[in-house]
Amino acid sequence: MATDQSYKKSIETAINNPKLSKALHLFGDAYLIARENAYSGLNFDAMRQELAAIKDDVRIRRKELLAEFIKNAEAAGSIVFVAKDVKEANDYVIKLAEKKGAKLIAKSKSMVSEEAHFNKAMEKAGIRASETDLGEWIVQLAGQRPSHMVMPAIHMFKEEVAELFGKEVGKTLNPEIKTLVDVARERLRQEYFNADIGLTGANFLIANTGGIGLVTNEGNARLCATLPDTHVVFAAIHKLLPTVEDAIKLTRLLPRNATGQLLTSYVTWIKGTVPCDGKTKEQHIVLIDGGREALYESKACQDALRCIQCGACANVCPVYQTVGGHVFGSIYISAIGIILTAFYEGLDKAKELTRACIGCRSCTAVCPSNIDLEEIILHLRTQVTSEYGMGVIKNVAFKAVMKNRGLFHSMVKAASKLQRPVTHPSRTGDEKRVIRHLPMHFMDRDFTQWRDLPSVAETSFRDQFPNIRQSVSDPKYTVGFFVGCGADFVYPEVGTSLIKVLNALNVDVVFPQKQNCCGIPALYSGDTETGVYLAKQNVEAFTEAKVDYIISICPTCTMAIKRDFVERLADHPGWSAKALALSDKTMDASAFLENVLGASEKLGNLSGNGSVTYHDSCHLKRGNNVFKEPRALLGASGYEISEMKNSDRCCGFGGTYSFLSHPQISKQITHDKVEAIQNVNVKTVAMDCPGCMIMLKGAMGKANPNIRCAHTVELMAEALDKK
Amino acid sequence: MPNNTHLSRFMEMARRVGAEVTQLENLQDAAKYVVTNSSGTTLVPRTALSEKHDLRTVLADAGVDVYDGDFRKAGHFPGAGVTFCNFAMADTGTVVLESTAEDVRLSTTLPEKHFVLVDPEIILEDNLAAAVPMTKIHTGNEPKFVAYVTGPSRTADIERVLTIGCHGPRELHILVIEGLSSDLYEI
Repeated sequence: MATDQSYKKSIETAINNPKLSKALHLFGDAYLIARENAYSGLNFDAMRQELAAIKDDVRIRRKELLAEFIKNAEAAGSIVFVAKDVKEANDYVIKLAEKKGAKLIAKSKSMVSEEAHFNKAMEKAGIRASETDLGEWIVQLAGQRPSHMVMPAIHMFKEEVAELFGKEVGKTLNPEIKTLVDVARERLRQEYFNADIGLTGANFLIANTGGIGLVTNEGNARLCATLPDTHVVFAAIHKLLPTVEDAIKLTRLLPRNATGQLLTSYVTWIKGTVPCDGKTKEQHIVLIDGGREALYESKACQDALRCIQCGACANVCPVYQTVGGHVFGSIYISAIGIILTAFYEGLDKAKELTRACIGCRSCTAVCPSNIDLEEIILHLRTQVTSEYGMGVIKNVAFKAVMKNRGLFHSMVKAASKLQRPVTHPSRTGDEKRVIRHLPMHFMDRDFTQWRDLPSVAETSFRDQFPNIRQSVSDPKYTVGFFVGCGADFVYPEVGTSLIKVLNALNVDVVFPQKQNCCGIPALYSGDTETGVYLAKQNVEAFTEAKVDYIISICPTCTMAIKRDFVERLADHPGWSAKALALSDKTMDASAFLENVLGASEKLGNLSGNGSVTYHDSCHLKRGNNVFKEPRALLGASGYEISEMKNSDRCCGFGGTYSFLSHPQISKQITHDKVEAIQNVNVKTVAMDCPGCMIMLKGAMGKANPNIRCAHTVELMAEALDKK
Repeated sequence: MPNNTHLSRFMEMARRVGAEVTQLENLQDAAKYVVTNSSGTTLVPRTALSEKHDLRTVLADAGVDVYDGDFRKAGHFPGAGVTFCNFAMADTGTVVLESTAEDVRLSTTLPEKHFVLVDPEIILEDNLAAAVPMTKIHTGNEPKFVAYVTGPSRTADIERVLTIGCHGPRELHILVIEGLSSDLYEI
């Protein structure tokens, strides 16, 4: 429990430091623009698929490539040592230093040396390791650890740096960045000249040459590799690449994705023992496993070793931007950090981190190695849940209640009556009741202080459906409607709107009553058992219905049917074929309306419905690749779209994330979204996800009740009514 | 420039990352440029091309303080380094120097300013086109040190503010001159 408490406290401390969060937001915004420019004229998807294929080939042939690398490096004079863990690696360098009587190591950036707590290990052995990368040096002087892979001191401000450097050089320094950089330049130049050993990392190891590569900007790695007569390369085994050409392909992605540069100032290719001060340099290459072989062997997680350590998954992560890398990470931070921490430091060390991911998939969208980070994190969360449990609330909710469709639905019905004492008419009066305050004060801070909670609908969609009259004489298609919990019990009007729109386009809708929750809340909490059970219920319900398509107005449910049901039921005989068949004909409503029915062309003459802004839901854009369609549909329905800043940034909902695991982080992320919406100056924000609706209606209810949050199909139905 | 279609792209991209790019007639003009734009001890490594073009003499004749001793003893911050390069890459504005000889490394890492001479003939279209020469350079068991240099040394480690001149040269001057070399394997 102690860890749990200190973790919560670290979140609180980070949230109470808005200066850091603000800096990370500014960085995130600038990064997106720089990155987009850097890829201009290039096909990012093709490039990253190619890199992923190279890295997968390395995984498969790693033993052969490692042997080839060692053979070639040794032929060029290098001494290669393979360390099974970081301790062996440290011990090798200590022994080498002792043999040479070395007292000072000038060191450029190496992430695996962070893993090894290299500097501390050297200090214990009486050797001083001096960081020369500017950010690493700052962090070393401050006695901290890096909070970002590429920019280690991104959490610090120039005033703090001036104080640290001032102490180091014994005078008061102006907190002016140029001055501070010059101080480091001057001071560290002595270290390269005085050092007995120069240590660098490696961005890649080339099997067919035995050479290493360094991708850097400052020029310190070149000096570390040049001035001292001994060069130690501290590198992890997954940095292997087959050929020079593969390395060139990596260098086309790494700087573009890390900092939006086409190439860093320096890319340095070093092979063997080059001349040094009239003699030949001594070069030691320490290749470290440190848990990577186990990660390579994990089918579910092995893709993580495709990582080229660009740090982009942090740059775009709303959780990272809110709390920083010291909270959301360990040695490695953000999405990739969760996975690597689990493997290199142990699942126990990663258990809070696995839950801190909000699941928005923004990391997956920018990953240059095409790693589905979110999916791997979900897998780890399942492991954490099976090892450490998921907490009493979720246990009762998922296992006892949701699996039992009858019980679940009658409990929701009861809730719609029981909530009466706490609901109020919403502030605008034209919509239904909301929960503005909870009677339990201890919950108020996380739940209703900064958002209204939606009330459960008087009559769920499933109970309304039998009374909806559809008049489609000769339907073009019959579709099965997968309503999802949000629209079923909270926003049934989204379901009725969809039927109105579909009917107008000559499509008949059936509603299989045996359908249940898609199971994502259970799956995302690591409860696979409930997830599989619910998948089967739904597959059965929709297979029986014999429809042309299955349509959902919730992108998470759509993803569940399209992806998760297939994966979860893959090993269940009799189920996997059915799940696959359903997956093929399942679509999000906007995608179906636009891409199958051509709705925007058919509706095309509506106008004058005013301005709206559009919020891209995480799972719609990055899970289903749908973002043009709703804009086309709204446009055709007569709405003019004014884009908000970062329209595809998460709204902060994340299902149980915003209620149970991390409401305080959600609150900050939601605040950003509310601000972006308010800055557009429109009266309506459209979206395609009931989860986002819960979050944004709730937050807008407190921030500005005059701005309406609506589902795209609701706005379409209203436009049709006016026609 | 009749012989290289990649020249204008190379110049544009190099300028974008903060390099000074100047087209000159001959090495004498280059020497005048170095005199005008730098001062102090100047490291000029003896390489195949510098010997062939007698670069050290040309620079010294123009008044450049060409350093004569052991480059490691030229001080922590020599004024300038002047080198040729093997080839360049247009898509990123990069110059590539086979720097196995230690003096090439010292001349391009320690000085405040780096002047590099580029023949338009050896500008490749892009990084991918460099796969052939890079592979060839690395074939065999000989130790090799190859440096890609793209603009001056830079950092953004303090408050993400781009700052030029961290640990490497503060300025990179690219001097484009025809007729220096058409051999990608010579520096």
